[in-house]
Amino acid sequence: MNWHLKRAGQALFTLWAVVTLSFVMVRMLPWSAEDIVVAELIQQNPNLAQNRDMLRRQVQDMLMIDPDASITEAYVQYMMSVMQGDLGTTYGVRSGEEVSAIIAGALPWTIWVMSLATFGMFALALALGAIMAYREQSAFDYSNSAVAIVAASIPYYVAAVVFIKYIGFSDFLFLEMIPARNRLPDGVAVGLTFEFVSGAFRHALLPALSFIVTGYGLTALAMRGNSIQTLGEDYVRVARLRGLPDRRIALRYVGRNAVLPLYTWLIISIGTMFGGAVILEQLFNYHGVGYWMLEAIEANDMPLMMGTFIVLTAAMVVAIWFGDLTYGKLDPRIKSGDEGEAY
Amino acid sequence: MKVKRTEDDTAFDETSDGRDSEYTSRLLSDGGQTARMFDDTEVTEVTRTQQFAEVVDESIVQPTKIAWSDWRTKIGMIIISLFFFMGAVTSLHRHGYEWFNGALAAVGMPWQLGEPRAQQAPERFLRPFESWQYPLGTDMMGRDLLSGIFWATPQMIQMVIAAGVFVTVVATVIGTTAGYKRGNTETVLMTLTDIAMTIPGLPLVIVIVALIDTTNPFLLGIILSINAWAGLARSIHSQVLSLREHSYVEASRTMGVGTSGILRKDILPNLMPYIMINFTFAARGVIYASVALYFLGVLSYDGIGNWGVMMNMAYAVMGAFEVPGRMYLLLVPMAPVVIVSFGFILFSQGTDRLFNPRVRTRHEGATKSEAEDEDTIHGPVK
Amino acid sequence: MSLNDTFTSETELHGVSDPIIEIRDAEVVFEMDRGVSRVLDNVNLTVERGEILGIVGESGSGKSMLASAILDAVVDPGILSGSITYYPENGDPIDVLSLSDEELRKLRWESISMVFQGAMTSFNPTMSIRGHFEETLDAHDFDIEEGMERGHQILSDLYLESERVMDSYPHELSGGMRQRALIALSVLLEPDVLVMDEPTAALDLLMQRSILALLESLKEKYDLTMVFITHDLPLVAELSDRLAVMYAFELIEQGPTNEILQNAGHPYTRSLLNATPNLDAPLSEMRPIEGSAPDPVNVPKGCSYHPRCSVANNRCVEADPEYQQITEEHVAACFHCDDAVEAIPLTHDQAVVQEDEP
Repeated sequence: MNWHLKRAGQALFTLWAVVTLSFVMVRMLPWSAEDIVVAELIQQNPNLAQNRDMLRRQVQDMLMIDPDASITEAYVQYMMSVMQGDLGTTYGVRSGEEVSAIIAGALPWTIWVMSLATFGMFALALALGAIMAYREQSAFDYSNSAVAIVAASIPYYVAAVVFIKYIGFSDFLFLEMIPARNRLPDGVAVGLTFEFVSGAFRHALLPALSFIVTGYGLTALAMRGNSIQTLGEDYVRVARLRGLPDRRIALRYVGRNAVLPLYTWLIISIGTMFGGAVILEQLFNYHGVGYWMLEAIEANDMPLMMGTFIVLTAAMVVAIWFGDLTYGKLDPRIKSGDEGEAY
Repeated sequence: MKVKRTEDDTAFDETSDGRDSEYTSRLLSDGGQTARMFDDTEVTEVTRTQQFAEVVDESIVQPTKIAWSDWRTKIGMIIISLFFFMGAVTSLHRHGYEWFNGALAAVGMPWQLGEPRAQQAPERFLRPFESWQYPLGTDMMGRDLLSGIFWATPQMIQMVIAAGVFVTVVATVIGTTAGYKRGNTETVLMTLTDIAMTIPGLPLVIVIVALIDTTNPFLLGIILSINAWAGLARSIHSQVLSLREHSYVEASRTMGVGTSGILRKDILPNLMPYIMINFTFAARGVIYASVALYFLGVLSYDGIGNWGVMMNMAYAVMGAFEVPGRMYLLLVPMAPVVIVSFGFILFSQGTDRLFNPRVRTRHEGATKSEAEDEDTIHGPVK
Repeated sequence: MSLNDTFTSETELHGVSDPIIEIRDAEVVFEMDRGVSRVLDNVNLTVERGEILGIVGESGSGKSMLASAILDAVVDPGILSGSITYYPENGDPIDVLSLSDEELRKLRWESISMVFQGAMTSFNPTMSIRGHFEETLDAHDFDIEEGMERGHQILSDLYLESERVMDSYPHELSGGMRQRALIALSVLLEPDVLVMDEPTAALDLLMQRSILALLESLKEKYDLTMVFITHDLPLVAELSDRLAVMYAFELIEQGPTNEILQNAGHPYTRSLLNATPNLDAPLSEMRPIEGSAPDPVNVPKGCSYHPRCSVANNRCVEADPEYQQITEEHVAACFHCDDAVEAIPLTHDQAVVQEDEP
């Protein structure tokens, strides 16, 4: 079967599974979001306990399901709504607003920070790992391996706390250029202006750095190991015997073949980072999807919480699908259905 | 006339598969090798006790010996043991066995472990390393921070154990079953694994803990590692796929050894390094996630059951960020998170290096295989 | 260095008049924890222009190291010493070991090319065969269009559909096709010498045969000198003009193929012939060689074969034998060549193998 088709199908299947999973959590669990919402509504307005119709309408508005409908009916209802982009209405945070509207305003920012972090981390890790492999057992290799292990031992939120305190709050020379809070400087409007672009970059810098600094280490070490192995492959030896220039061997032979087995690893890293966005956006008061997720939980706002969950996961699925496309381009073996050394 | 090569000239046959055989022999070094070769023929005469002793030796004693030979695993094991030691001491203390304090007093340490409570120390906001009696200082309520760090360990260890066992068992069962059964079972299990791998762990965990508010450390450990098994299941699956093609597995199969027997005797021992490495990854992940969620107040708590709780109080209540000179309230509980995670990472890196030929340096590799067969070296041409 | 001085009487004894490669006192050592590992020990060998030279040895006898040495491609941290001289058809002799990196890069593949063991993994898995051909031409500043035309021609000579193979990725080709594509790649730059290290080891018997036939026609067409290294004595015997036998990192016997098959002087060679399976000989006549090959760190003193040798005496333990002349073109490093012939009778008539030779 065509690999690309298969992966695209799998992405769609995962999306479906995620929405279904959230339905299960909204409706079917013994401690479901629906029960929590109903209890909350009645607590706020005890009259609702008598006025079942009113209660039903309110719940339906928030969670997109009729609490009195059968499970099948509710499921169809729920799926239809989500497919149309309706994620319900909030009641805790920014009460009464559409969940989808809040998320639409937040998602680009999360994607921006995540892309910065992901590309920054992989670029640093892969380049460093390859150089370490080339200079194996040199002082450069030893010192960088040690630094990588120590850096990898630091949780990203610990790095974030330290960055906020010692860089974000600092007035020292250029450090005052790097803020620790919010998505943009005060008063800067969205638009293609220098203020906007540089502001967005400066404000994303510390959150992205928190991921990069703590995340590159293990990836670099894995890349190092793979590159060392690839350096020992026959085809690299033959390439040298054929008199190919070193640069070409490094990029086309060692680099590319060493990255491929890291694929699964990279996917897991992306997942960890997307998950970490929830924590980091809170610490940096960065109003992305993760920020709203934690706000929702603090306010016990079930619709917003489920909405952010679905969107974060969908973003992750799309990111992985992009990864698949790239991977298919890098490894010709994948197309013939032979998954090669991918996993 | 035709000349034909037969089985008999194996003496002249080159082994093209040098890496793999090296890998297995490395895994089984220090004596496991010969035992393996004759296992199947001798199994009838071996009693249960001997079998058990052999299993213990093969799966615990030998790996530990090998692990100790690498400085990374050694330091990692020391740090992890210290972590568990802290948990054990605190647990005993809570149950009234306060011999640890006795020991501390006997060697002249002024610090005593005690339940962190308000007015534990006479002085509030005591900075670290200022008093031997409260080495890491005290907080706004006069609680001893070092005692707090000790106090949190038992619950954290319970969480780590629950997560580690959960991840290992689920991943091993799914990975080996998928790899061994093939067919539809494989498709279903691996699709499930792919989905679990795609869903970002933390948001799912946060949603679940928002719905079920629990403080049970075992349950929390499992929830926090709800999809952490996927990566391990994946690598076990591909390992099983390649292992089942190996000649000794083939041999067992033709000799009529059952599926479970093959899995247990031939395949699982080879998976041990992967499982060990991923156990540490799961443990580290759970510590990271639990500290983060307590830190941000997603998980509710009463009493210090996690270093994240101390961070939460410092961050949300005591103004560690805003008030100058209080940053230590955050840094002190963050330090053990970093140290324990350092221990886990060193352990897994060392294990990887010991058991995975991919990571071994080409210099070691070259000289080692050189002795056995110069034809297997493929180092760089100068 | 003055190359003419290195011509010793020994060279002529080996019956070579027009050498293309000359190896003198080649030695490769690896420093190891448990001692110095000498994986090539005092090897002297001359390759005649236009011949096919077979080098036979068992696993771990150092024959791959010899192949690497010819191209000065011994892997780190091995140290190669001695001298290796390449005599181009026109021009001055080249001392391979004193070349600069850039000169060495040019020599490899343009003058001396190599198909080495593990041909199945000799292609970059993420690059098409065409990519391999083009980058090779590019790296050596050859005209790409003209070179690719030649590439297509060679692939066709090897009975491959050149267009399809060029567009394929390595994993899409069968073992035999990959092997032939690699051979085509190795002669792409029209080298004078082709060194082949076990080029057929991973192939089935039929494929081995057809590759050998192709190699012979390729040799004629492109005027190649071939050094064919293998553990498979019957295989190389069919192909080669001369044979050199390697044991424990030394060349213990050299001579014309026929001469060695019928009248081997070294007890090891004789035992090797007897250990070689042969369809015409009954299995009961096959004699495996007792004992095992020595460890490179710990090669026996004196003649390295003495612990396994049936004719060895004290002299063999004390001194390492020099080459003894058997015929004008045939030498063996043994004190007891004559005794060996009687002590180890050949179990079957090897001469029949020669009938297949053109």
